Amino acid sequence: MGLPRRRRRVAVLLLALSALGIAQIHPRPVDDQVPLGEQQNVETAKPLVCVHTLLENEVDEAKIKRSLELTRELGAATIVQFFPWAYAEAEQGRYEWFIADRIARHAKRQGIRIIARLGLVPAWARPSDPAAPPTTLNFLPEESFADFARYAAAFAERYADAIDAVIIWNEPNLSFEWGFRPVDPAAYARLLRISYPRIKAANPAVQVLAGALAPTREQAGSGAGLNEFDYLSAMYQAGAGEFFDALAIHTYGYHDSPSAEPNPDRLNFRRAELLREIMLHHGDEHKPAFITEFGWNDHPRWTGAVRPSQRSAYTVQAFEYAEQHWDWAENLCLWAFRFPADTLSYPDNFTLVSADFTLKPIYYALQDYARGWARSEDTWLPTPRAG
Amino acid sequence: MAADATRRLTRRMRTILALLMATLSAALIAILLIRQASAPNISKAFPAGEIVVGVDASYPPFALDDGTSVRGLDIDIATAIAAELGVPIRFENIGFYALYDALISGRVDLLISALRIDRARMDDVRYTQPYFDNGLLIVTPAHAAETDIDSLTNARLAFEYASSADAQVRLWQEDGRAIKRLPYELPEYALDALRLGLADAAIVDAATLRLYQREQRDWNIEFEYITSDPYAIAARIDRRDAWKLVDRALSALKERGEIAIIIDAWL
Repeated sequence: MGLPRRRRRVAVLLLALSALGIAQIHPRPVDDQVPLGEQQNVETAKPLVCVHTLLENEVDEAKIKRSLELTRELGAATIVQFFPWAYAEAEQGRYEWFIADRIARHAKRQGIRIIARLGLVPAWARPSDPAAPPTTLNFLPEESFADFARYAAAFAERYADAIDAVIIWNEPNLSFEWGFRPVDPAAYARLLRISYPRIKAANPAVQVLAGALAPTREQAGSGAGLNEFDYLSAMYQAGAGEFFDALAIHTYGYHDSPSAEPNPDRLNFRRAELLREIMLHHGDEHKPAFITEFGWNDHPRWTGAVRPSQRSAYTVQAFEYAEQHWDWAENLCLWAFRFPADTLSYPDNFTLVSADFTLKPIYYALQDYARGWARSEDTWLPTPRAG
Repeated sequence: MAADATRRLTRRMRTILALLMATLSAALIAILLIRQASAPNISKAFPAGEIVVGVDASYPPFALDDGTSVRGLDIDIATAIAAELGVPIRFENIGFYALYDALISGRVDLLISALRIDRARMDDVRYTQPYFDNGLLIVTPAHAAETDIDSLTNARLAFEYASSADAQVRLWQEDGRAIKRLPYELPEYALDALRLGLADAAIVDAATLRLYQREQRDWNIEFEYITSDPYAIAARIDRRDAWKLVDRALSALKERGEIAIIIDAWL
């Protein structure tokens, strides 16, 4: 009985094609589950050392694992990692944790803690008026603040055993990061007010970080943004102070050494101290700060760069400076560990590891510092002279 | 009978030949017409009557904003191309992170900004032929017995500490090559070391070597590319006419030696 062999073959073929068609309509990432390996611990002499990873766009799970292995071997016990809302809730009310899950499980296995940066708005949470100009992924309308808070709380609960802190948004004092709109510290304060209690209810242990303000000299009325000092002051005035546990700070060195004096008119590493003064002014001396982005660039031609020898030295000196002078800083997170693909321009010269996993010389210098190893070689030779 | 048959055959052959000739001629005319119809058209390529070029003017000597205007090698090349096409040109200074978005959104027609050809962007962008290769070079004294890394055994290699040249030398060492590392604080010091006989070879990028040679015109050297880092102009993938016209203009300028003159002026 049953179908003749030829018909059976046709039926099997049709079934296979149908399955293939369904798979095309609802493509799901293949969770190939790269083996986690043995449980590891980060051996470090400098718990302050942290790096900003960019694993959310990594297609190959093996590369996530390799990045985190190298992070552990570097001696960094903490990472800042971006977890885009748009990736987790592309369809309203239906969370897809695939991307975050694999980052969290590999980080845990390597013994690395996570400071989670949250942002990027799914299409359904942005205005959909076809007559209006399209919005960017950084456009978070006020009507969607509660949806974002719900995502942040769900994230904080799900990854309670992997994360220490969540950062609410990124650089909201830049127009580009605020959906190409005029920046709005009061609106950002309202976002914190809505998000904070929900996150704490879901995960009381997690620290809620505000700010992640970009270092910039923009003044009020600029289309590009607002300097971080005026923005933070306006946040406090709008009542944000009750709704964060610590401040996230971005502070890049540009041409200055890490010890260069802070100055509101100059972008340098110790500019972070001016933000700390504003926190103290508003009675937040009990709150710590996290430097969630900092670093120097060593592109040979970019005007914002220093020489590679300087970058290497400045980076280590910055950690030493913070260790000695910034008792309020919980972590210093270097931008950036590695990009999934090289940009082929100066941003690549912020990284410690190239996209093909070539370790840059600065990786070894930082590893020596973080692991407490004696420097393995002299840095460079004296200037050559004739005769 | 045989003569009749031969005549018939000849007539048939003539007919076939005539048909073939007619078909070929029609095909040629069709090809010419199609080519003419699809030939890049300047007003179609740049409908606004000008070329708007996006550039990140933070890369001397390729492009730098001096406060009043943007200047540099890239600016001169783009200006020469516009002159070749007979179209006015305008530059927009845009940070690197927004450059490709500006091109894709149509805010600018072209990008020229020391852009390395990025295969990952080729769904959106079409690059012209390169106008400069800023890859790493191995530099040796003129008439050196050995000039490439494969034959430089136990060589003293000078390079800039912690640079891409340093990373390259580390890779060679990991491959088991016998090399003596000579790291210097600056790439110019690595070239000094070579010039003064303290090193057998130096590893620097092409722009660094050219700038150094401007100060050391009598120094005779040989060099060989060990990596390639070609710079090209980008147009949006659907702006085929713009890309084609610019690429042709670049070819013409290269053939006349004008690109080399511009490069010599800045590097």
